[in-house]
Amino acid sequence: MKRAPTRITAGRQIRNALCLLVLLGSGSLFVPVANAAETPQFETHIAPLFKRHCVKCHNAELRKADLDLSTPQGLFRGGESGPVLVSGDPEKSTLYEQVHEGAMPPAEESQLPAHDIETIRFWIKSGTPFVARIALAELTAAAEVSNHEIEPLMRLRCATCHGLRAKEGGLDVRSKAALLKGGKSGPAIVLGDPANSLLLKRIHAGEMPPDEKLIEAGVKPITVAEISRLERWIEIGAPEVLVAPDIASAEMDRLVSDEDRQHWSFRRLRPVAIPRASAFQDTAMVPRQPVDLFIVHKQQEQALQMAPEAEKLTLLRRITYDLTGLPPHPEDVEQFLVAEQPDAYERVVDRLLVSPRHGERWATFWLDAAGYADSEGKRSADPIRPYAYKYRDYVVRSFNVDKSYDRFLLEQIAGDELADYTDPAQVTEEIVDNLIATGFLRMAPDGTGSDVVNFVPERLEVMSDQIEIFGSTVLGLTIKCARCHSHKYDPIPQRDYYRLLAIFKGAFDEHDWLKPAFVPGQTKVQKAGRLLSIATPAELSQMTFRNRRIEQEIEQQQRKLTQLAVSVRQQHLEEQLKSVPADLRQPLRALLTVDPGKRGPRQRELAAQYEAKLALDDAMLKKHPAYKRAAVEIDRTIKSLQSEKVDRPQIRALWDRGVPSPTYVYRRGDYRQWSSLVGPGVPSVLTDGKTPFVYQPPWPNATKTGRRLALARWLVESDHPLTSRVMVNRIWKHHFGRGIVTTIDNFGKLGVPPSHPELLDWLANQFVQTGWSLKRLHRLLVTSQVYRQTSRVSSEQLRDDAENQWFTRMPLQRLDAEELRDSLLAVAGRLDERPFGRPDAVNVRKDGLVTSIGAEGSWRRSLYVRHRRKEMPTVLETFDLPQMNPACQQRPTSTVAQQALFLMNNTAVRALSQDFARRILGQTADPVAQVERAYLTALGHGPTAEEREVAVQTLLNLEAEFAALSNVAEQPQDSAEQALAVLCHTLMNSAAFLFVD
Amino acid sequence: MKTRTSTRQDCPGDVALRQSRRGFFHRAADGVHGAALTYLLGRDVFAQEGLPTPTRQPASGGPRQVYDLSSRQTHFPARARSVIHLFMNGGPSQVDLFDPKPALDRMHGQSYFSEIAQDVSSPQQAGGLLRSPYKFAQYGDSGTIVSEVMPHLARQVDEIAVIRSMYNSHPNHEPALFKIHSGRLLPGRPALGAWVVYGLGTENQSLPAYVVLDDPLGLPVNTVQNWQAGFLPPVYQGSRIRSTGSPILNLRPEADRPAVIDRLQGDLLSRLDEIHRRQRPGMLQLDARIKSYELAARMQLEASDALDIGQESQRTLELYGVGKKPTDSYARRCLMARRLVERGVRFVQLYINGQIWDNHNGLQNGLKTACDRTDQPVAALLTDLKQRGLLNETLVVWGGEFGRLPIAQIPEGKDLSSAGRDHGPRGFSLWMAGGGIKGGVTYGGTDEIGFAAAENPVSIADWHATILHQLGLHHDHLFFDRNGLHEKLTDTFKPRVVKEILA
Repeated sequence: MKRAPTRITAGRQIRNALCLLVLLGSGSLFVPVANAAETPQFETHIAPLFKRHCVKCHNAELRKADLDLSTPQGLFRGGESGPVLVSGDPEKSTLYEQVHEGAMPPAEESQLPAHDIETIRFWIKSGTPFVARIALAELTAAAEVSNHEIEPLMRLRCATCHGLRAKEGGLDVRSKAALLKGGKSGPAIVLGDPANSLLLKRIHAGEMPPDEKLIEAGVKPITVAEISRLERWIEIGAPEVLVAPDIASAEMDRLVSDEDRQHWSFRRLRPVAIPRASAFQDTAMVPRQPVDLFIVHKQQEQALQMAPEAEKLTLLRRITYDLTGLPPHPEDVEQFLVAEQPDAYERVVDRLLVSPRHGERWATFWLDAAGYADSEGKRSADPIRPYAYKYRDYVVRSFNVDKSYDRFLLEQIAGDELADYTDPAQVTEEIVDNLIATGFLRMAPDGTGSDVVNFVPERLEVMSDQIEIFGSTVLGLTIKCARCHSHKYDPIPQRDYYRLLAIFKGAFDEHDWLKPAFVPGQTKVQKAGRLLSIATPAELSQMTFRNRRIEQEIEQQQRKLTQLAVSVRQQHLEEQLKSVPADLRQPLRALLTVDPGKRGPRQRELAAQYEAKLALDDAMLKKHPAYKRAAVEIDRTIKSLQSEKVDRPQIRALWDRGVPSPTYVYRRGDYRQWSSLVGPGVPSVLTDGKTPFVYQPPWPNATKTGRRLALARWLVESDHPLTSRVMVNRIWKHHFGRGIVTTIDNFGKLGVPPSHPELLDWLANQFVQTGWSLKRLHRLLVTSQVYRQTSRVSSEQLRDDAENQWFTRMPLQRLDAEELRDSLLAVAGRLDERPFGRPDAVNVRKDGLVTSIGAEGSWRRSLYVRHRRKEMPTVLETFDLPQMNPACQQRPTSTVAQQALFLMNNTAVRALSQDFARRILGQTADPVAQVERAYLTALGHGPTAEEREVAVQTLLNLEAEFAALSNVAEQPQDSAEQALAVLCHTLMNSAAFLFVD
Repeated sequence: MKTRTSTRQDCPGDVALRQSRRGFFHRAADGVHGAALTYLLGRDVFAQEGLPTPTRQPASGGPRQVYDLSSRQTHFPARARSVIHLFMNGGPSQVDLFDPKPALDRMHGQSYFSEIAQDVSSPQQAGGLLRSPYKFAQYGDSGTIVSEVMPHLARQVDEIAVIRSMYNSHPNHEPALFKIHSGRLLPGRPALGAWVVYGLGTENQSLPAYVVLDDPLGLPVNTVQNWQAGFLPPVYQGSRIRSTGSPILNLRPEADRPAVIDRLQGDLLSRLDEIHRRQRPGMLQLDARIKSYELAARMQLEASDALDIGQESQRTLELYGVGKKPTDSYARRCLMARRLVERGVRFVQLYINGQIWDNHNGLQNGLKTACDRTDQPVAALLTDLKQRGLLNETLVVWGGEFGRLPIAQIPEGKDLSSAGRDHGPRGFSLWMAGGGIKGGVTYGGTDEIGFAAAENPVSIADWHATILHQLGLHHDHLFFDRNGLHEKLTDTFKPRVVKEILA
């Protein structure tokens, strides 16, 4: 028998009734009408009739009145008012009564012709016959309870120990066949005889699931209602139903219409024409990029104008912060000021785009969206994720090498399915990177490392957060809403959430869960659940070589220690011997070299008398001053050498394990209320709704489903409706302070439509056509005239374009948390530019101040500070660093007194201002030059005449005051330095420092 | 100055409040040498005698341009303007404090374990039903029942409404604390206080809007996560005010500089910012930032002043129990709480170190010790608020994260004399007072033995909704738009305001 290539709703279908489904699904045109001579059959007469008149509302998905007439099972199960059929008795059958009296179909639908009503009556009267050989009793029984209810129950309560990963007692409970086969103690169920079914006996005896294993297994006890369902199922012979998962098929999708697909962002990307340049000839604007033409076009419609170009140094400071998150170096400022090439600005852009600092800056935005944190969250303990940083570094590196965005997504969503990593000899750097990239899907807060919160609902919560991150970041859709109910605003039915979940099931399976990794000192049991120990052969041999060298050094140190012990003992002996009669000295020396067991009687006598005095035992040796100091030193060296040894590299990854459990829609999101079975698929509204989601194992013999790889490949289709639009909008937002779509994470119906739809689509096309290159996109945007506009705002602009919706100026923007901290360090000359690696630890002071721990008076960029959810550095939190629960798409900006208090009074900021002052002082002793230099360093430009005057005068006054306050003995240098530190501190507090034009 | 004027004029503490603004700052400034920010005040705050009041924005809805703490409009008229949350971490035992159970006397010693087995955290230590070691009596005109270990509160019962039918949904401290503070069992969601100041802002910009007075002896379980802002902007999280050292983080520099230096720096900053702003007309962010520096300056002065309980009369100090053991520490914080709400702070939350109410063993002494430390200060706070006319607009709430079981918990190798009680989330008592709460009321009830809420159960969402309601906020309308979802304190629960305890 051929399986229908159709969308088969997950109903309750009996295996031997499969042929019905073929008929139901294929929608045969030939519909025979019953005549008096012929008894109507379900398949030939009734099913087509229902399909024409009833199934539109009474199908498996909609189930109006909780009735599904699309399958025989649904028909016999009945609806919210109970059974609708009494075989043989039409008068007692609600279904007949309803159509006979014209109550159904409802008034607005076409009514059933009389002969159809008669066909139904006749069919019921005849005992509801089928063409197929079908046991009616079984059909009604299966409608009552089938394997469809029991299999998920077994997974939930029993299969952790009796299923895929473990078969305790040789038992697998995942199917009827396996239950019948049973385990070491015999069959688990006896059909029709629950009382003698071992499974139930053990459950009733309270032995299963065993109390002592519940927590470890992440299982909650089976409920009374569940037991009685199981009992009933066995009692009625354990009826089985063919369960065909609900997937996209050629059949019309009733839940998502073509009209739904017409929403602007759901339409596939099409080429867009650039507005003609000639139209703008009468404007003062010189278009530098096509972007300008789109923007001016809209401005003209609004009778608005582009603002004049910003001053040269304003542009330099803006672009430097924008592309690197740091202030321009004073030398760069000076060079740019004298640069006369017409493309001097473009050269700066190119220089900044290749700076290693660029990837660090732009990684921040992606890491926010991905919900990056160095801890698990969800619980008070907030355990550390020791290897999360590798994903952070991966993002930085990807941006720095301008990895194409399509590849970037492929790696993050399906890095484990891109290339086989099972053969250690074949592991390449690319493969390692692929696996690290999947860390993207491991970012959701996750409390399941603790057994007491590692049950199915908590796991589903993690999956839900991860779907939210994926949906918002990549698709710009709030898919998570559809977890508990069909989306209220967007055409995302609940089914589609679970289809998407099914794609991730190979790796995220609530019934086959990998716990977060072991953390030394934090978790009790060593279970490296989410770590892959994979490295390139080169990396491994390098590691072995390095470790061997360290071992050798350690041995050398230990030899040193042994030698020291010998010499200290010798020294001690010689000293002690001085107080011993001279004639005994030589015999005693000899004695001590002889093993106690081999000494002669005279020697034993001498030993008893002198040995304790002459020989240092181990305890005494350790206390001996000559030994102790050196030993402590050597111990420390050995410890530090030990810590330099490299453990086998670990990658915190997500990977498909090849055997996903079936995915059921959870009614109201409740894991105990499974309803229809679904298969993998992407949201219907983003497809034609008919094309099945096709996937296959990524390479021959792969133990992977290939589902996520198929998802990733679909995402990066060149005309995908959302992928490129969402990303270019995100990039645009970070450059211009406002998205073309202002709701950057919501392109759905509740999102705000684009202010410049053509521009968005043009950019999206351009992005795809230039190989998804982010650097090209950056360059395109920041070299436009729109980007070069001044941020000064006129009263007309404030009136006509208050929100800057038409981009009639650049926004004035406050430094964000990382920019601020990094800038304070940079201007003070205390920024340690070492990239990558384990995050820098923080110090949590008793009063709550959290600071990062630097090395040798310098601190690394904020990106590299440990991001533990419960203890974020105070400076970052004060300036609006968001907490990742689970992620952050757009940061809030606050203005509060605590920020002023921080910059003004914080000890670390004050210390940095002194470093800043010393840096300037090292360059010049002239107060005027000092002010110039301080301005250039902190603000990227010199002072105006007025500023210079105010600053120099204050500097001199400060110096005089400090001089007057200090003792005569002190160096005059001190008062100059102190005065300059106050000036520098003031600049660090100034609005000019905090805001970028 | 946005200080609430008291209706009574005979309290010595009021003298300072009646002083002119200028006088106040001068006096306060004496104690704050070397704060460069202070100088900023000389520029325009003095001149204006207060900042212009911007038009009040509504409490909730939609994204905001800038997140700040300016005072916002309520959804409907409020009954309370401030909240003092006396958080009793550990789980005070309801059947020994507010919810007497004669059945426990009757059935003392009887086994009850099997009936409640699924709710016993330490089954190996479970004993029989345990009668309360204390006597209960009716007090006040209302006849509210309180146990003998709260003699001071007993004299204030006509002010309070006891809810006996609260319930939580987890028997462990950490999740239960998250639940009572933020509505869900997990970290990451905004605390009640954060929601309140997100909704209403605050009336005194010179003090933090949401103040946490934690115990100098140590942080509670879940530490600073108890007052987190979660997904709300960090500006709404609770600010710890410490009674030793710098009361607010970075309130003052660790090393003071000579006043003349601060004056020069303050002047320089003002002038440079002024030049910057002049070149950029129409930039509201710049005005807001300059204002934030002025507010910081005022905070330096006012925070010191607000926390200086030395200004209180001897009589007041004695009333609270300041200066004597064991009440001193909690008394100071209660008194500070009054001084803070008096100055318009929106939400004040008090904690005690460790878990003094977590009486797993030695209940008889342990619970009494907890009461001895807190009963007098708490009752004094009610008395004091009332005599100053502040109680009717200040909502005072007392309670922990859950209650305790009616059966004994007996540590291994010990006997009944050292018995305590294990955690009991299914039923517990707390009380509310002031701010439009009907005094002398006892609402709801537990079952015969005090195990679970039975009569008129009040969920934590109900309780949250009730607090918001008294502040003029509707729990459904106070939302934060996140990722297309309207996030609320009461999440997707359908809470009911406990109207029966409202005046």
